[in-house]
Amino acid sequence: MPFDCKHIRNFSIVAHIDHGKSTLADRLLENTGTVEKRQLKTQMLDDMELERQRGITIKARAVRMEYRHNGELYELNLIDTPGHVDFHYEVSRSLACCEGAVLLVDAFQGVEAQTVANAYAAINEDLEIVPVINKVDLVHARVDEVLLEMEQSLAIEPEEVIRASAKTGIGIDDLLAAIIDRIPPPQGDPEKALQALIFDSHYDSYRGVITYVRIIDGTVTKGQKIRFLKTGVTHEVLDLGQFVPQRRSCDQLAAGQVGYLVCNIKDVEHVHIGDTLSVPGKDGAAAVAGYKPPQRMVYCGLYPSEGENFEELRESLERLAINDPSFEFQPESSEALGFGFRCGFLGLLHMEIIQQRLEQEADLDLVQTAPNVTYQLLLKNGETLEIRNPQDVPDTGQIEEFRQPIVRCNFLVPVEFIGPVMQLCSDRRGVFLKTEYLSPTRAMLSFDLPLGEVIYDLHDKIKSVTRGYGTLDYELQGYFPADLARLDILVGGKKVDALSIICDRRDADRRGRAIVKKLRGEIDRHMFEVALQAAIGTKIIARETISALRKNVTAKCYGGDISRKKKLWAKQKEGKKRMKSIGSVDIPQKAFMAVLETGAERQ
Amino acid sequence: MNSRIRHAYVHVPFCRHRCGYCDFTLVAGRDDLFENYFTALGVELKRLNQPIKLDTLYLGGGTPTHLGPDGVKRLFSEFHDALQPLPTAEVTIEANPLDVSESMIEAFHECGINRVSLGVQSLNSVTLKKLDRDHRESDVRQVMNLLGKSGLTVSVDLIIAAPGQTLDLVARDVEEIISLCAHHVSVYCLTWEVGTAFWGKRARGTLTPVVEDLEREMFELVIDQLSDAGYKQYEVSNFAQPAMTCRHNEAYWDCRAWEAFGPGAARFDGRNRTTNLRSVSVWIKKLLNNQSVTGDVDTMTAEGAARERLVLGLRRRCGVDRPAFFQASGFEVDDLAEKSIQEWVAAGFAEDDGRCIRLTRSGMLLSDSLWSAVL
Ligand SMILES: Nc1nc2c(ncn2[C@@H]2O[C@H](COP(=O)(O)OP(=O)(O)OP(=O)(O)O)[C@@H](O)[C@H]2O)c(=O)[nH]1
Ligand code: SF4
Ligand SMILES: [Mg+2]
Repeated sequence: MPFDCKHIRNFSIVAHIDHGKSTLADRLLENTGTVEKRQLKTQMLDDMELERQRGITIKARAVRMEYRHNGELYELNLIDTPGHVDFHYEVSRSLACCEGAVLLVDAFQGVEAQTVANAYAAINEDLEIVPVINKVDLVHARVDEVLLEMEQSLAIEPEEVIRASAKTGIGIDDLLAAIIDRIPPPQGDPEKALQALIFDSHYDSYRGVITYVRIIDGTVTKGQKIRFLKTGVTHEVLDLGQFVPQRRSCDQLAAGQVGYLVCNIKDVEHVHIGDTLSVPGKDGAAAVAGYKPPQRMVYCGLYPSEGENFEELRESLERLAINDPSFEFQPESSEALGFGFRCGFLGLLHMEIIQQRLEQEADLDLVQTAPNVTYQLLLKNGETLEIRNPQDVPDTGQIEEFRQPIVRCNFLVPVEFIGPVMQLCSDRRGVFLKTEYLSPTRAMLSFDLPLGEVIYDLHDKIKSVTRGYGTLDYELQGYFPADLARLDILVGGKKVDALSIICDRRDADRRGRAIVKKLRGEIDRHMFEVALQAAIGTKIIARETISALRKNVTAKCYGGDISRKKKLWAKQKEGKKRMKSIGSVDIPQKAFMAVLETGAERQ
Repeated sequence: MNSRIRHAYVHVPFCRHRCGYCDFTLVAGRDDLFENYFTALGVELKRLNQPIKLDTLYLGGGTPTHLGPDGVKRLFSEFHDALQPLPTAEVTIEANPLDVSESMIEAFHECGINRVSLGVQSLNSVTLKKLDRDHRESDVRQVMNLLGKSGLTVSVDLIIAAPGQTLDLVARDVEEIISLCAHHVSVYCLTWEVGTAFWGKRARGTLTPVVEDLEREMFELVIDQLSDAGYKQYEVSNFAQPAMTCRHNEAYWDCRAWEAFGPGAARFDGRNRTTNLRSVSVWIKKLLNNQSVTGDVDTMTAEGAARERLVLGLRRRCGVDRPAFFQASGFEVDDLAEKSIQEWVAAGFAEDDGRCIRLTRSGMLLSDSLWSAVL
């Protein structure tokens, strides 16, 4: 049955990580009868293997539901979004397809950093916010305080907030009613020329690229020809449908609806998330604004551990990019690692997830270099360079100014932890901006900090100094001059390009010592002594030695021993194959991460 | 096939008790299985389609002498005509010092055994205790005396780098073995094998291995002492007085074909190495039910076999002779490993006179690190 726009509601569920979005989605699927109770699994929409392993949402997921309210039947399209900062781009793309957002706040944890960030993202998109305080079933729920925090930080009226428990089902019907009553219906016209926004896509080896769309105007039907505005290519719609939550075919999608299109597109270049679809010819609609590309925060090199898999890696990256436009990749080469890609990510978790998806979904073995942020260089000749790979830093003589990215960090912490957080930030050369109290027990601290200091382990450090209660969010402010230098690592006297890092000159000694020490533990003994050195320019600042092997010989090699011993030797050979040789030193893959070692705890 | 085979190994999987470092195929304290073992061995031997005339026969274990003099005779009676040592054959038995008596030596003579490999391991009471051995140093002296008079060739096994052992203790063990006039000495640095009691104790920290540097010093010391006393190191772990090398083991390293019987025993037909099932009880049961006891099979290509030959050859102190290697394997050494050999020579790990390639002492001591390049 076709729904007119008045009977459609499109909304995303947004919150800080773990506040219960996916569980709430389960309850909505259940109460609307979309999924039968016996088929319902917990966090049903988290169906990617990695999501289940880690218990978090990584990809936004759309589902269509039907719900009868005041005697009328409505189509509800919900998008469950991830809460982790690194996947914020998924949230912002989802918001662009919706007229409303359900904002969840955990009744015990209260307002946290991504609560604020996501709420503002929804407000900026002009969405109607339906605030919910979730987990009211918890014994330690502190509903009144959290309502106050919501009011202070986001100007949300306490009366508007729905009290719910995604676990026990309290308040779910109230929420469904509020969604229909408060969120405005989409404003589209099914009779106008087709205009649809591609908000996501994925590659299916049988059906090609499947595009996920929000229809803004017009109607799309099976067999129809559609045009991808960015590339101008035209494809025929072979199948289309909605997510319930699996894909289910239907005859048409009309203005206001959310669904998928299958056009048997094998060339991934044709599809761009954020692109607009319309009809071919001069009657086609104009492109919608689309998405602004996300700001990549960290870069690292990804290399196939066996050099010959370079093309395979490229193909896998292209396919993955169809499903996740937030990472980017460019071919690069390294003396140590051969041919690979420099990839940009939104954060370290994102980097880890992409690497795991490549290894699991494409069955590739990868060597990853340590992550770094991007830097800017002003050269003496007036040129500005963007540095994504430490090995691209030229000689000191050419550099006029070395700049690093600075982010504004907001920390939401219980007041008793303000001291330790202040300490932590000042150790990392943060500049204090302000403190705001959200309630008598919680405060928001703002600092400007070098991104490099934030990205690696500040999350973990904040968690540990606040016993798990502190959270942070950050936003790039720009690039500012700092006293930076490239630190090189030499193995057996040879510089290993993939081990260079950029660091603050004041930290260089400590980092250099920590890195060579770590490397000493990672590299096996060889038949000769191996020197490990850290250097800035030609100045050696740290040194360690791996002493030579003294004895490595099989004693017994008779009869049946021979096969067994040969297997052991062959294993060594396999192990060697997976290492990278620099000169005649074999460096195991994980040693390339050794440069993350920061040295002793800072005072 | 059989007509080419001149060597046989028989595994006797019994010991009085299991030493803490030992991971061999054996059962301790299960003398009740002797009878079934003999029967099963008989079945396995009958599977040969014709008798083999032997240049060498080796009875290893476990502890073959744990069968007792009558058991040893019984074992030989099982061989019937299947295994026929030639008059000039080398017939070796591994022996525990506690088992060697006048009557045992008589049994050896009766069976045609002419070489005894004695599990001495050490002549120091503390080291023997550390190694979990059941004999004392005085047993060894007495047995060496008996054997000395018997006309049998005597080989002695020695373990070095036992926990707590010092360089000085090693030197004294070797001195004494030399004075006891062993014809042949096999020296093994203690190895730590998964699943042994020692492995567990090391993990728990109650046993500490000797550090690698000291281990090397000990091994080098032994090499020097034995060489000075006229023993020639002819393979990594083996030292012999002139003309006293172990022909059976040399057959292995020459990649000659051999037959093998008993649980966990491995045979080689010139290309494939087949290993019997390791479990003593399973091996017995299957044979009594007329089933196959074949376990792992290591099948090699001609080139794989040649590479193996190269490694085994280089572990021998005489090294690899290019023409002989080609003759035996059909491959030129330099086609298989030219670059590696050059690297080894440059690094001082090998010597090459253009015809013969030998590892130097330091090459030999690190040889396991070399093989991945040639296998
Ligand atoms: N007691 C209680 N626990 C809840 C409730 N809702 C969710 N949880 C629990 O909170 C944890 C996180 O739930 P999720 O639904 O995965 O949270 P999420 O917001 O989707 O997390 P991300 O997608 O990773 O950001 C799970 O252990 C849930 O069982 C609730 O109403 N009450
Ligand atoms: S006597 Fe030899 S075979 Fe028997 S358990 Fe001891 S070391 Fe192992
Ligand atoms: Mg979730």
